[in-house]
Order: sequence, then C-alpha cells, then structure tokens
Amino acid sequence: MENKQSSSPASFIDSTVVPGDVVLDLSSMTNQTIKLGGGLRQDCDAISAMKAGTLRFLKPNKYWIESSQKRYVPCVEDTVLGIVVDSKADNFLIDIKGPTLAFLPVLAFEGGTRRNIPKFELGTLLYLRVVKANFGMNPELSCTDASGKAAEFGPLKDGYMFETSTGLSRKLLGSPTCPVLEALGKKLSFEIAVGLNGRVWVNAASPDTIVVAANAIMNSESLSTAQQIIMVEHLLKNIQ
Amino acid sequence: MEKSGENEMVTPGDVLGRATDLKPGKGAYVASHNNTIYASLTGLRRIQLPPPDSPDQRPIVEVTGHKAHGPVPEPGSVVIARVTKVMARTASADIMCVGPKSVREKFTGIIRQQDVRATEIDKVDMHLSFHPGDIVRAVVLSLGDARAYYLSTAKNELGVVSAESSAGATMVPISWTEMQCPLTGQIEQRKVAKVVS
Repeated sequence: MENKQSSSPASFIDSTVVPGDVVLDLSSMTNQTIKLGGGLRQDCDAISAMKAGTLRFLKPNKYWIESSQKRYVPCVEDTVLGIVVDSKADNFLIDIKGPTLAFLPVLAFEGGTRRNIPKFELGTLLYLRVVKANFGMNPELSCTDASGKAAEFGPLKDGYMFETSTGLSRKLLGSPTCPVLEALGKKLSFEIAVGLNGRVWVNAASPDTIVVAANAIMNSESLSTAQQIIMVEHLLKNIQ
Repeated sequence: MEKSGENEMVTPGDVLGRATDLKPGKGAYVASHNNTIYASLTGLRRIQLPPPDSPDQRPIVEVTGHKAHGPVPEPGSVVIARVTKVMARTASADIMCVGPKSVREKFTGIIRQQDVRATEIDKVDMHLSFHPGDIVRAVVLSLGDARAYYLSTAKNELGVVSAESSAGATMVPISWTEMQCPLTGQIEQRKVAKVVS
C-alpha cells in the first residue's frame, strides 16, 4: 500500500496511481498552463486519475498516465493492424480491437479510384492508420499516410499475427530499439509489423524463425533488459 | 358528418357492437366468425353517423387512442430534438417537441451533412457540429423515408440549444461555432443556435 503524502506533484510522478487518486492540486500551482494527457480528469482544482497506471511528466507541463491493457481506445494518427470483417458500398468494416468496428473508405488507397477498388477477403490483415477517432462515432482509417502515399500500409501477406497488450506494442515501437528485438535481430532475419492496438505480425523465411520470434516477443513484456537478452539467448540455443 | 358523443373508455378486445348495426372505423375491427366489432386500441369510443348519401347507412364506431391527440411533425414546423448518434455524414435525433407541444410517440429525424448550415456545406464536419446528447432546434424539411424525418439546422436561429461538456456541465455558447464549459473552461465546437432575446 502506498503512503499518501500531501498532494505535491513530485510525490506521484513515475509512481503507480489508481482511479480516484488526486495527483495534482491546482490551487498550489499558480499561473501555469498544464497539459493533461490520457487518463487524467479535471474537477475544478483537483486533477484526479481515471486509469490505473504510472503517472508520467514531460517538461515543461505535460502530465499523463501510462498503462497497459488489452483493450484498445482508438486515437488519431495511431498505426494499427486491422482485420476485414465486412465490406459495404463505401467502406470496409475493420475490427481493430476497439469498442466499435472501424470504417476504411474504399478510396483511401494510393491512386484509389472507383474503378480500381481493392477486393479484400474476409479475414485479411491490414496495416492501417487511424484518421478520425471521435467518441461515439466509428473510427475512420486509411491505407495511406497523411500525404497520400502508400508507405507500407495495406494488406500483410503470409506471416503470423498474435495479440499482445497495448503497453508491449508501445515498447516494441519505442526508440531506442526494444532489447528483445535487437537481440533477435542479431541472429535471425525476420520482418515485423506492430499495431498500437495490441496486434503484432511476424514474417520470416522459415516457420521455426517465426515461432521463436513470436514467443520471444510474447515473453518479454514483464522482463527487464538483461532478463530479455537472457531469455532470447535461451530460446535461440534451443533451435540451433 | 354529425358526431354523437358517447365517451366510454374501452380497452383492446372490448365488444363495441354487432357488425349488422355498426361499421368499424379507426381502432376497431370485425371478427368475421361471429360478426362482432371489437376495439383494438385503448381509448374513447365514439360513434359517427354516416353521411346521408352513402349506400351503407350503418353508423361508424371508432376508438381514439391517446397518441391521436399528440402533435405530429409537418414539413416546415420547428422541432426540438435530442441528438442520438453522430456519423460521418449524418446525425440522428429523437424529436421531442413540435412547436410548443411535446410529442406522444417517438419520431426520429436525420440531419444530413448538407443541411447543417447554409455556407460551405461540403466542408462540414459532423463531429464539430453535434455530439450525442445535444438538444437542437431544427426545422422539418420533409417526411423523409420510412425511418426518419429529414431535419435542417441551416439558419442562424437553428442548431444546438443546450449541450453538456465532457466534464458534465451545461456549456455556455460563446459564438455560433463554440461553446465553453463553465467548470473547466474547455471550448468545444458545435453549430450553435442564435437565441433571440
């Protein structure tokens, strides 16, 4: 159990908070503009947490709560892996592990016109970008980047897709490169696509490599850097 | 047609008379196996005398339910509606009042992207105009399709009348596109109705 100190902000930064904790008291901080990120809520003068996680602070004035969960909440400009569930006249319906299905407009491809609409089978895995994500509306996706180029978005062929938590997806995409990916990359050659919605796709020349890479990534969530490197060595020893 | 008032309250299944004496009108029907007229609505039973020149001289018995007294939206009437769903090019709303009277049964309306405002109609972002739960004043354009009336907010005095911010407080309008939350000071975009005082 944590000791509740008087609510000075320094005591909560980088520590675990649960919903309901008052993490900031605005009456003690005058004349500052604070930016609140996800998971924080303002109640007149008290800023309280809405999610369980770690409170993070970035100078000069950004606060947010980082947490890892299986459920994905769509955000604009996220890159996600979606599965085609249905196709309608104007949109494909895509499942991105969010509260509702997302729409992918039929023309949202590079050089897309009414004449060359792609035909995706149900179950196709796509690498997509979230364009609009408002509360209460179905999110809108796109297979192009902001300037209209294809840029790696689109269907992913072959390979193996597995699900992870959102926290692990963010770690895999972080820079510098995640230790498990570096360690795997030194010995194996494979390609990987990470969706911020908790889906990861791995492809390699042989199925053994794919399975080892997938297992290594799935195991690495709660391990520290040194432990991850040891775990990867252990797995690689078994196949060589 | 003359009406003779006989205001008796009936419920569905009540016998209203024999088919030999009366003809069933609205809210009543004949059961052919025993030639009896039954009521199909809950309401007041009324008998209307037939017009003198019709061949069938039986009086018409009808039942008026409570919904028959409620107002019905007509093209051109100003309605108050609550937005239920906002989508990419349309917003659905439940019509609550027609003019000054509240409705007795549920009517659904749709506000299309081109009917939100009068200028720059193809650049309208539905999410910057309405949110689910907003109360809007709109005018009925037409009876629409089987599912919903077509509504329009394309005038200065039409649009969002009352809305709740994400913090839960009723927002104060500050311009025709913005409303501000009094608790947090956050500004949210809506298509705001100009309230003429």
